[in-house]
Amino acid sequence: MSTPVVEASGLTKTFPMPAGPVTALRQVSLRVDPGEYVAVSGPSGCGKSTLLHLLGSVDTPTSGTLRFEGEEISALTDARRSQIRLTRIGFVFQRFYLLPMLTAWENVELPQGEAGIGKAERRERTAELLDYVGLAHRAQHRPSQLSGGEMQRVAVARALANRPRLLLADEPTGELDEKTGEQIAELLDRVHADGNAIVVVTHDATIARRAGCQLRMHDGIIMPEGSG
Amino acid sequence: MSSFVFAWYSLCRQPARAVLAIAGVAVIGALLFDMLLLSQGMLISFRGLLGEVGFDARVMATSSMPMTGARVGDAAATAAAIEALEEIEVVIPMRIDQAEVVLSERRPMDFTLVGSISGHGAWTVIDGADINQRKADGDASTIVVNRNLASALNLSPGQTVTVRSECLGRRSILPTVEFEVVGIATFPFDSESQLTAAATIADFDRACGGEQDQADLFLVASRSRVTAEAAVEAIQQLRPDLYVFSNDQLVDRFERVGFSYFRQISTVLATVTLTFAFLLISVLLSVSVNQRFAEIAALRAIGFGRRRVAADLVWESGLMVSIGGVLALPLGLALAIWLDRILKSMPGIPADLHFFVVQPQAVLLHIALLATAGALAAGYPVYLASRLPIASTLRNEVVG
Repeated sequence: MSTPVVEASGLTKTFPMPAGPVTALRQVSLRVDPGEYVAVSGPSGCGKSTLLHLLGSVDTPTSGTLRFEGEEISALTDARRSQIRLTRIGFVFQRFYLLPMLTAWENVELPQGEAGIGKAERRERTAELLDYVGLAHRAQHRPSQLSGGEMQRVAVARALANRPRLLLADEPTGELDEKTGEQIAELLDRVHADGNAIVVVTHDATIARRAGCQLRMHDGIIMPEGSG
Repeated sequence: MSSFVFAWYSLCRQPARAVLAIAGVAVIGALLFDMLLLSQGMLISFRGLLGEVGFDARVMATSSMPMTGARVGDAAATAAAIEALEEIEVVIPMRIDQAEVVLSERRPMDFTLVGSISGHGAWTVIDGADINQRKADGDASTIVVNRNLASALNLSPGQTVTVRSECLGRRSILPTVEFEVVGIATFPFDSESQLTAAATIADFDRACGGEQDQADLFLVASRSRVTAEAAVEAIQQLRPDLYVFSNDQLVDRFERVGFSYFRQISTVLATVTLTFAFLLISVLLSVSVNQRFAEIAALRAIGFGRRRVAADLVWESGLMVSIGGVLALPLGLALAIWLDRILKSMPGIPADLHFFVVQPQAVLLHIALLATAGALAAGYPVYLASRLPIASTLRNEVVG
C-alpha cells in the first residue's frame, strides 16, 4: 500500500467570530492516494473551501492531524509550509489570480523561479505546460488579453509548474460559462489521467461526476456515501 | 523572477501611482537635499572665503565685528611688533569706514572706504593699477573702486572722484579730498550691491582729517612652518589686551553665534521632509497592498514565503525612493541656486558667500536618509502583506 499524498485525521476548524465561535469543519478524516481524483461538493458554507485550505496547508486546523506524504504539516513553520506548497502542491483558484502585469509565460514561469529551477529547465517546462493547456500561441499575452477560460488554463499550467504531488482546485469553473467550464473539466481529466492526484471543490455536478471519488459535505461533516 | 524585477513590474503596473510617488519623493528629496546643503553650506563657504583671502589670523581691539567695536591705537607700532614675532610672516592693518563721493549734480553717494596696504590680497585689482603711496605733497591720492561703484558713477582708471569721509561716526567738516581712480578691484567680503573703494592708510587718514594711527583690524599671515594656532598664541602673549582669532576660531564662533539658527532650521525642516517622505511611501504602498490582498494571498498560497513577499515590497519602496531620490538631486540643486540668490540679496551678506554648498557628504547623507525613510516606510505594508491570513483572505475575496 503506497503512502497517501495527504491524510487528514479528525480535522476540526473553528473560527472565532464576534457572535461566538463558528465551527466550519468537524472531525473530518480524509485520505487522498497518489493519482486519485476526489471531488468535494455541498452547499455554500458547508466547509468545502475550509477543508481545501487545510489540505493545502494555507490554514491550520484547530484540532486533528494532517500528513502530507507522511509528514505531519500542522506543526511546521510557515516557511516550511510555504516550501511544501511551492514544490508539492498546486493551487487553482476560482478567480484565477494570475498576476496582471505578467504575461501568461511569466505567470507559469514564476513559481519555478521561486523554487530555484534553472533558466533552461524553466523555459522548457513553461513551453511544455502552455502547449499542454493549448495556449502556446498566447504565451506573450497578459491576463487582460485572455478570456476567462484561457486565464484558468494558464492558472492550471501555473499550478502544475513545479510537478506537484497534489492539485487543489477551488471552484475552478465558478467564474466560467458552461462550455468553458467543460473545457476546464476536460483539462483536469487530462491532468488526472497523467497520474496527478486532484482534489476539486465544486458546486458543478458535471465536474464532480468526473471524479473517481465524490464526497458530499454538510455542516462541516463529510456525509456517508449514499446519504445525499 | 527576482524580487527586484517583480517590484519593477509591480511599480509599472500602476503608472499613475508610480509617477505620483516618484514625483513626491523627488520634491521632498529636493527639499531634504537643500536642507542638508544649508546645514553646512554657509560654514563651508565662510571657511573657504577666509582661506581664499590668504590670512590665517585676525587681530582686533574687541570681540565685535570690525567697524562695530573699538579700534586698535598705535596701529603702526602694533603691526610692527606683531610682524617682528618669528611666527608671523606679514601683518596688514585695515581701516574701514563710511564715506561719500561728492557729486556736482546729484546727492552724494555713500560707500565703504577701506584703508590698507596694497598687494597683500585684501583686494584684487582686475583692471588698471593698484593704489600707491604719494611721494610728494602735490601727488594725487590714489584709490581703487569695486565694480559696483565704478558702474554706479561710470568710473574708469584715470578719472578723479571727490570724497568726504565719515570718520568717527559723524560728517567731517574737513575739506573733501580728491582721489585719482587707478584701478577696479574686487573685495572678497563685498555684498552683491555694496559700493567699496580702497586707499592707502595715509590717504585714508588724510580723508579723515589727519594722521590717526588706528586700525579696525589686522590681517595676519603666519609663516608656512607655523600653524595658525601657534601664531595666534604668540600674538596673544605679546598683546593680551587684543583679541586674536584664527580662521578656525572665527568659523567656530560664527557657527555658535550666527549660524546656529540656520542649523536648527535646516534640522527641523529636514526632519519634516523625511517624515513626509516616510508617510508618502508608506501610504501609497499600504494602499497598494490593500488593493492586492487577494493577489498576495494567492501568491502565498502557491508557495511564496513571507520573506519573499516582504522583499518584493521593500524593493518596490526602494525603487520609488531611489528613482525619486536621484531626480531630487538636480531638482534640489536648481532650487538651491535659486534660494541662494534670494538669501544673498540680504544686506551685508558677502557676494562670494554661499548658503548652499554641494559636498559629497551631503549627497551621501541624502542617499542614506532617503534609503532609511524608504526602508521604514515599507515596514507597515510589509507587516500587512506578510501577516496576511491566506485562507480567510481568499475566502473573503470570493464571497465579496
